Amino acid sequence: MSLEATSQPVIKPPSESALRVRLRRTREIAASVLSNPTTLAGLLVITAMVGMALLAPWLVTPNTPDPAQMPRDWGAIAVPPGSPDHPLGTTNVGGDVLYGVIWGARTSLRLSLIVVSVTVAIGVTVGSIAGFRGGRVDEVLMRIVDVFLSIPELIFALAIAAVLGPSFRNIILALAIVFWVKYARIMRAQVIHVKQNEYVDAARVIGDSPWRIYRKDVLPNSITPVIVQATLDMGNIVLVGATLSFIGLAEAGLAEWGVLVSEGQSGISGGRWWASTFPGLMVFLWALAFNLVGDGLRDVLDPRTESR
Amino acid sequence: MQIRDYILRRLLVLPLLIVGVSIIVFALTRIGGSPIGIYLSHEMSSEEVAEIEKRFHLDEPVPVQYFYWVSGVVQGDLGWSGVAAAPVTEVFPNKLAATMELAVASAVVAVSLGIGLGTYAGARRNRMPDHITRIVSISGAAMPLFWFAIVMLIVFWVGLGWFPIGRSRPEIFSSIAHPTGLYTVDAILAGSFTAFRDAVWHLVLPAVTLGYGATAIIARMMRSSLVEELQEDYVDAARAKGLAERLVLRRHARRNALMPTVTVIGLSFGFLLQGTVVAEIIFRWPGLGRWMADSVLRGDQATIMAYVLFTSVLFLFVNLVVDVVYAFLDRRVVLGS
Amino acid sequence: MSVTPLDSQLTTIAPLVASVRDLRVHFRSKAGIVHAVDGVDFDVRDGETLGLVGETGCGKSVTARSFLRLVPMPPGIPVSGSILFRPRHACPSCGGSGCSTCSFGGRVAEVCPACGGSGCEICEHTGAETLDLLKISERDLREIRGNRIAMIFQDPGKALNPALSIRSQVAEVFYAHRSEELLAEAGVDVSSASPLLTRRARQQSRTAENALLSLPPFRSHRNAITKAADARVAAALAETQIPNPLAVMDRYPHELSGGMKQRVMIAQALACDPDLLIADEPTTALDVTVQARIIELISELQDRHKTAVVYISHDLSLVRKVADRTAVMYAGRIVEVGDSDQIFHNPEHPYTQGLLAAIPGTHQERGKLAAIEGTVPELIDPEPACRFAGRCPHHAEACWASEPQLLPVGERKVACFIHHPPESGVGPTIEKTA
Repeated sequence: MSLEATSQPVIKPPSESALRVRLRRTREIAASVLSNPTTLAGLLVITAMVGMALLAPWLVTPNTPDPAQMPRDWGAIAVPPGSPDHPLGTTNVGGDVLYGVIWGARTSLRLSLIVVSVTVAIGVTVGSIAGFRGGRVDEVLMRIVDVFLSIPELIFALAIAAVLGPSFRNIILALAIVFWVKYARIMRAQVIHVKQNEYVDAARVIGDSPWRIYRKDVLPNSITPVIVQATLDMGNIVLVGATLSFIGLAEAGLAEWGVLVSEGQSGISGGRWWASTFPGLMVFLWALAFNLVGDGLRDVLDPRTESR
Repeated sequence: MQIRDYILRRLLVLPLLIVGVSIIVFALTRIGGSPIGIYLSHEMSSEEVAEIEKRFHLDEPVPVQYFYWVSGVVQGDLGWSGVAAAPVTEVFPNKLAATMELAVASAVVAVSLGIGLGTYAGARRNRMPDHITRIVSISGAAMPLFWFAIVMLIVFWVGLGWFPIGRSRPEIFSSIAHPTGLYTVDAILAGSFTAFRDAVWHLVLPAVTLGYGATAIIARMMRSSLVEELQEDYVDAARAKGLAERLVLRRHARRNALMPTVTVIGLSFGFLLQGTVVAEIIFRWPGLGRWMADSVLRGDQATIMAYVLFTSVLFLFVNLVVDVVYAFLDRRVVLGS
Repeated sequence: MSVTPLDSQLTTIAPLVASVRDLRVHFRSKAGIVHAVDGVDFDVRDGETLGLVGETGCGKSVTARSFLRLVPMPPGIPVSGSILFRPRHACPSCGGSGCSTCSFGGRVAEVCPACGGSGCEICEHTGAETLDLLKISERDLREIRGNRIAMIFQDPGKALNPALSIRSQVAEVFYAHRSEELLAEAGVDVSSASPLLTRRARQQSRTAENALLSLPPFRSHRNAITKAADARVAAALAETQIPNPLAVMDRYPHELSGGMKQRVMIAQALACDPDLLIADEPTTALDVTVQARIIELISELQDRHKTAVVYISHDLSLVRKVADRTAVMYAGRIVEVGDSDQIFHNPEHPYTQGLLAAIPGTHQERGKLAAIEGTVPELIDPEPACRFAGRCPHHAEACWASEPQLLPVGERKVACFIHHPPESGVGPTIEKTA
């Protein structure tokens, strides 16, 4: 049988539009992510916590004048958990632990969303510039990134927040300054990797402007590790942030998990365990949930040779 | 030859990074108030203050100030610690010793438990020990140390009363000399069993707590590399020679699985280092971490700066060593292919 | 040991060193249960080379590994069938070189412990010790592995531990199986030796013991043991014609060429003079020029040690040169077994015929390569039918109804309805169907 010329054209137009393909892929990814039980569990916990954060004003009576501050009930000091008024007990200044747990979710959500958005924005921008331009610009930017990465994260954030002054806003700022570098690194590596691919050259040959190439070719393909890292960071940021506020860098009396754990510390030796245990548990669950989902995403989006 | 180039390159970059870190540290001092605040103490007279201002050239532009600050650091002048009411360099060694003792103890716990657990789990894949290890690994990475430490205290100190808090019983501690600053070592040197026991007993709880996170990541890596190695042909070949399963596991599979685990062990050092800050607060351990925490709250800039510089340099060196060790181990595989 | 009349009797009556009977090995997979090996029967005669031929995926590797129970049990499912093995010792009258007592095989079967040689159920009335490799204890199996039955693997680069030196690895067989001799060679009186030393000779020492052994009173003995082991390693390597064995001993696997690595594997395998050597595609991963040398080496050593060899390969022409008898395997079953030359000159089973026709030869005209049509069937929950039916040019109705058994055809055994008409239905004939 020999190869004969046929009358049909060899190249056929794609049957699905690009958008359809992307939607389908997203659905496939979602399906495989959801099939993993631990990832699913993480997702459920996240939903519960985010729900708690968003619904806080209706779940507990917001404190006046500032709901972000813990309410103080001097008539109910150091009450153990179990009472109908204070299901999780009260702190040694009469703060309702349940209030702290629920409103703390709100504070944590705010913290993680702001920090992660800012760091991703800055990091991706810097990384893209470094990757695209290459040469001197790349060298300089990456040296700066390397210097930032030389300082251990917690300690760096600690120093910055200390120098700026203790306040929750400064914690947010400190975390943003410390955590953007990770994304710069990731993005730069991805840009360089994609740049070497032929379809970028092809696009350039066609005459696409660099911005267009970036948007259509580079960005969509580089975004996956950024998404994975961002998910993991949503958990991690709250962890580090709570540690900073535990050490004492947030305003006293703030309805935030770390602050609560710190306040509950003095009661430990007297056997009053609840004021520290419950808020701390929340930090753990939050970080755990995002870690599980991040890992699940990573397994799906960036399969390795792990043979289960 | 590749290895030597690699080491050389890393060594050349190192000083640049240290300089970069020092610039950041200096910038922080400028943000946080008076740049010579670290040198001032309440006791100084106004002449002494003026003298210091002149010495550090405060009237000159910022880069010059930086230069003088750096030369001060290099000559050993790290400023005055308000918290400790003494020069930083004077207080540093003792606190460093306390932290090192805790860090080393935690590392020992983490490495031995991590490797042991990971091996146990990897050899019994998808059975109960593996599931337990997986739970430990996952929880370890997400565990807020400050909460875990408090829970450990509640259970083991307040509740069960098995372990004490702090570093030592003061009367026992002061009964021996402290040439090295490491309580355990000093106790051995002094031949005092009571002191040694006191030291160890106080170390157990903080070391296990601090080491938990590192144990988790080491166990996880060990387990997955062991599982991979167990699927290799040489493991079957070893069994085919009639070797006992224990020998196959330890001498063959585990030895090769340890290679990637070594890098994780190095990485977990950073984990431990940062953990000492929180652990020392909660367990009332008189080390660098607690000093730093106090300094942060009381605006003791000198300590903060010294601490950041020190930990960064340490971090850089450890990372370098880990990368070199791995490149060295890897070479055998690289050359082979 | 003196020669007893039993010895020669055992040799003539029980010339089989191993016998695979209805071996079935299945694997659990997402798609279902894969019947990788589904009723395999063949015998291995003392001192012969048996070729096991088949395409990739036909189950020959799994069969090979089953001898030493190296098939991983999840995902493997516990096996049915048996692999009988008759261990041997060197013939006392000729010391292994061959004489009339041992029919020039150099080996004599062990006496069956259950009946003392008179014949019983267990030894199938041969009087020779017979073990079912699939049923003996782990401990007994370990005695046999590397000692009475040895195995060499396909890719020597992967079958040697990259982290251990050649010396370390090869010495392991001696520590495992010849520890008493090592002690004797080290000048230690075996009966009065301290447990510390005996454990060291078996490579069972714990960390604390090893620390103790580095101290003066034990140190010299420990070193003597190591030296004895090293001497044996050097001798084993020399036997496989590795140049400069002492230097090679100190090297690591990645420093050696493919051919050298395979020689090391062979040295290791034959170190304890096994009765049976299983060679799983020993030359597939090697260059063609090296292949020939290794095949020659295996042949030579086999002659010298009088070891039986099961030689597994997908390369028919290779097997023909090497094997006395050949078993052809397809889709988990043996389809033809017999003398190699006869099979190659006159293949009976349609699959064997197709395989032989597919070998490109210089006598063929340019043009098409003869390939067997179709593909290997899925082995998941297979139907009871001849597995080759879909690709067989002679296939008939009966071929789809039941599985043909491996039954004698002259001096051979063939599993095909052409030679053994089925009980019911229209059987295939030699004329080709459309």
